[in-house]
Amino acid sequence: MADNLTAPSFNNSYDIAIIGAGPAGMSAAITATKAGARVVVLDDKPRSGGQIYRNVDASPLANSAVLGEDYLKGKQITAAFKRSAAEHICGVNVWHVGNNGEVLFSLEGETQRLTARQIIVATGAMERPFPIPGWHLPGVMSAGSAQVMLKSDGLVSDGAVFAGTGPLLYLIVAQYLRLGVKVKALVDTTPKTNYVRSMSEIAGALSASAMLIKGLGLMNEIRKSGTQVYRFADNLQVMGSDTAAGVSFCVSGNSHEIVSDHVFLHQGVIPNLNMTRALGVQHHWCEQQLCWKPTTNSWGQSSQSFVSVAGDSSGIVGADSAAAMGRICALGQLVSLGLMSEQQAVTEAAEDQRFMARQQRFRRFIDCLYRPIDQHRKPTDENTVVCRCEERTVKDLKQGFAQGGRDPNQLKSQTRCGMGPCQGRMCGHTVSELLADWRNEPVADVGYYRLRTPMRLVTLQELSRFTDVAPAVTPSIIHSTKSSSSGKGSSLEEKPQ
Amino acid sequence: MFRSLNDKQSQRSLVNLTINGMLVTAPQGQTVWAAMALAGETTTRLSPVTFKARSAYCAMGVCFECMVEINGMPNQQACLFEVKEGMAVRSQKITEQTSLLTSSEITPSDAISMLAENVGGHHG
Amino acid sequence: MTAIRKSDVLVIGGGIQGSSTAYHLAQRGISVVVLEKDTVSRHASGVNAGGIRLLGRNIAEVELSKAAMHMWHQLDDELDADTGFRARSLINVAADEADLNTLRSREQQMHGLGYFHEVMLDQQELRERLPHVADHCVGGVVSEQDGYAIPFHSTQAFRIAAERKGALFCEGEQVQQIRKVGDSWLVSTATQQYQAEHLVNCAGAWADLISVMIGDNVPMSYSAPMLMITARMPHFATPVVGAVSRPLSFKQFENGTVLIGGGAKGFADRANNTTRLDYSLLASGAHNAIEFFPIMKTACINRMWSGLEAYMPDNLPVIGKSVRSENAYHAFAFSAHGFQLGPVIGQVMTDLISEGSSRFDLDPFKINRYERKVL
Repeated sequence: MADNLTAPSFNNSYDIAIIGAGPAGMSAAITATKAGARVVVLDDKPRSGGQIYRNVDASPLANSAVLGEDYLKGKQITAAFKRSAAEHICGVNVWHVGNNGEVLFSLEGETQRLTARQIIVATGAMERPFPIPGWHLPGVMSAGSAQVMLKSDGLVSDGAVFAGTGPLLYLIVAQYLRLGVKVKALVDTTPKTNYVRSMSEIAGALSASAMLIKGLGLMNEIRKSGTQVYRFADNLQVMGSDTAAGVSFCVSGNSHEIVSDHVFLHQGVIPNLNMTRALGVQHHWCEQQLCWKPTTNSWGQSSQSFVSVAGDSSGIVGADSAAAMGRICALGQLVSLGLMSEQQAVTEAAEDQRFMARQQRFRRFIDCLYRPIDQHRKPTDENTVVCRCEERTVKDLKQGFAQGGRDPNQLKSQTRCGMGPCQGRMCGHTVSELLADWRNEPVADVGYYRLRTPMRLVTLQELSRFTDVAPAVTPSIIHSTKSSSSGKGSSLEEKPQ
Repeated sequence: MFRSLNDKQSQRSLVNLTINGMLVTAPQGQTVWAAMALAGETTTRLSPVTFKARSAYCAMGVCFECMVEINGMPNQQACLFEVKEGMAVRSQKITEQTSLLTSSEITPSDAISMLAENVGGHHG
Repeated sequence: MTAIRKSDVLVIGGGIQGSSTAYHLAQRGISVVVLEKDTVSRHASGVNAGGIRLLGRNIAEVELSKAAMHMWHQLDDELDADTGFRARSLINVAADEADLNTLRSREQQMHGLGYFHEVMLDQQELRERLPHVADHCVGGVVSEQDGYAIPFHSTQAFRIAAERKGALFCEGEQVQQIRKVGDSWLVSTATQQYQAEHLVNCAGAWADLISVMIGDNVPMSYSAPMLMITARMPHFATPVVGAVSRPLSFKQFENGTVLIGGGAKGFADRANNTTRLDYSLLASGAHNAIEFFPIMKTACINRMWSGLEAYMPDNLPVIGKSVRSENAYHAFAFSAHGFQLGPVIGQVMTDLISEGSSRFDLDPFKINRYERKVL
């Protein structure tokens, strides 16, 4: 438990460094340590679990069952992870992973360095940007944020509107309703055409029928509650000038307005790319999921052989497949490290690979059904903010494009779009897709931002105190206090015994 | 308006902090953003170009909308930090026009609060 | 098979030197094609610190730098574009008495040569200009005309102005072979052949490879000078700031972000167009910044990067005619201080091509200055 702090100590040389303690990272650590690898797991949250199992061991809710079985089963993984021999450094900001195996991270305001022979990136997913008019206004948040706030702090917002498409949207609405939190309306932007198209994938989905039934169950739950549900909505806009005042949208050409000072938006999730991009591994555009993905082989190995990518950061697979992928990545790296024969790895990976293949068929159905509509991904309204940090609108980008900003990097240099603190996380996909339209070329040819260190802001003062410590083979105590001027919940999670 | 369902709040020890100068008590382990939201101080920062109030968007470290000033240090993501005893949290007011050059006697936080009063959105 | 593309001049390299050269040539009605292996201003010209500095120049460069500075002050009008140039003055801060002594002897030397653009500041004058400088700093030197520009915007401005006057820029065209046949230079890339009477080498970190193809050996090296930029800070420094004896250099832009340089070098991998940063060197740069400006304690670094830059052993550029081939010219290896010289270099190259000579003394920049007779 994070409340029970131990003196943080870690070696600074490892067989495998895993970035991210969600289902993929934890599972990879469990598998790798079982085979004798020296493993460190770094994560920016105070406790393991990732976003999906956030605070599963320390829920602020009296009855965390309302969050659903899929959430509670995370306890099994976190327990197994804690029993493993992996070292867990949590509450740290990993701000650099180099293609020489160097990992730099902030621990209680000091930069620490470790090196690893192999790296597993398991940084998970983020919600797809939702660049519509007014999405930058206070009072507008992502639906994922509603769930994170609920899981981590038991925070809810009454009378909010939920709008968009995708399973996560229906899940959080259902969770709110189970908790007796009033939901003003659910505005579903899944278009009718998606239902037709996804029928061709239904055969595959039926093989994962348990999950499908769960999804249908959620929709039923919401309808039965009497919550106002609008389906087939488009032209979604957030109303309001200084703060959110509600949403407007169209259904079959009829306009609707719903007043609310809180709007939660969601249109699916995409890989969190900043680490793999900064590492310089190869990426490709995935038309099925409308996102960039690191290119990997069946063992999750990227174009840089010592870097593997597991879970949603490799492409959206969901929590169960993420765990399976974590194990597969670990097996692949154990072979590379000489800790396991290839034959054994193949045998051990077989079941997970079969599971993932089944899941992939279901994923195709989900991706097809909940494919976000063009107008909510590629804004045409000139005043819509694309880059939230630097406040660059569609109009600004069009102007930059006309002045020679043909690719995302040129456009960034031209307009500052993507230059702010979020490092392009909130505008990168929009920019790639907009430029593709304007150039009338495939997104794959347009590319994405070149990303550099640091992956998160790091203070100049912290950097000024950094001294390069050569990797040692013997363990060394780096820190002996837990005091922190910054107040970030940094600690090593205690291992039993 | 946010409210807390934190049924186990009484089981957690409480810490005292200030948010924009206002005294707030929060359970240990709570994120700074959650403490701000519950205190009604939802403006995390001013946007730097148009000086408009902004608030948290993703609550999971991705969007950087919730950058606040913690103990005098700007650009801290409120959703990633947990509350600590004695912590001083302020909405971040650094815009393209914030200047410390009018007088060399004032400190950065003085200047930022002065600006905040001009721009509005300052509570407590 | 595509037809050979002919022009009077072929410029290799689409950085600021190549783009400025194309602009000046086109303005005089000389047809010019620029070959760029990536995209215009992709490397050092697009990602450098943007310093427009006359202060502290090597004596050999002062005349060129003065001429360039004059041009920068009118460049936006001349190119009908926004280069981002701002005259903000540049101050080098003296941390102690030894620094002041260094400045005094420099002043004596400069005055002796008839240069009066560098003006020493006492402690009070320094504080008036830089209210947030650390108490221990004792004085400094200022050059009033200096400032900064936005590198990508400046290079693009030259390119667009050149194109308006008829220059042709070919991006994604990496030179594979250069031959001299009769009076013509024949240059081939993977897909196209080019022919011109004159050839200009502005290939930056790849210029030694082009030199060899032309027939000139050169002891050029390349490296990756590192930079970092902060999230916005309240405005605390109007002038560009350097230090007399420390690797420190920073400027605060109008938008509040602070760019910190200082010349520390990372690791360059030019074959792959990439660089790797040296964090312990960046750390000492961060340390210097805070020591000279305590307010920088509140700075947060948003991005760190480096570009690929060419250097000569004496840190002076190569500017002038080829020694081995007729009608070939070089302008490269500016050793991390060529951006300011960009506007004038284009003019120098154009003079060399159209008139056969330049009004500037280019002797210190000869490509063969390191060649020695073997006894």
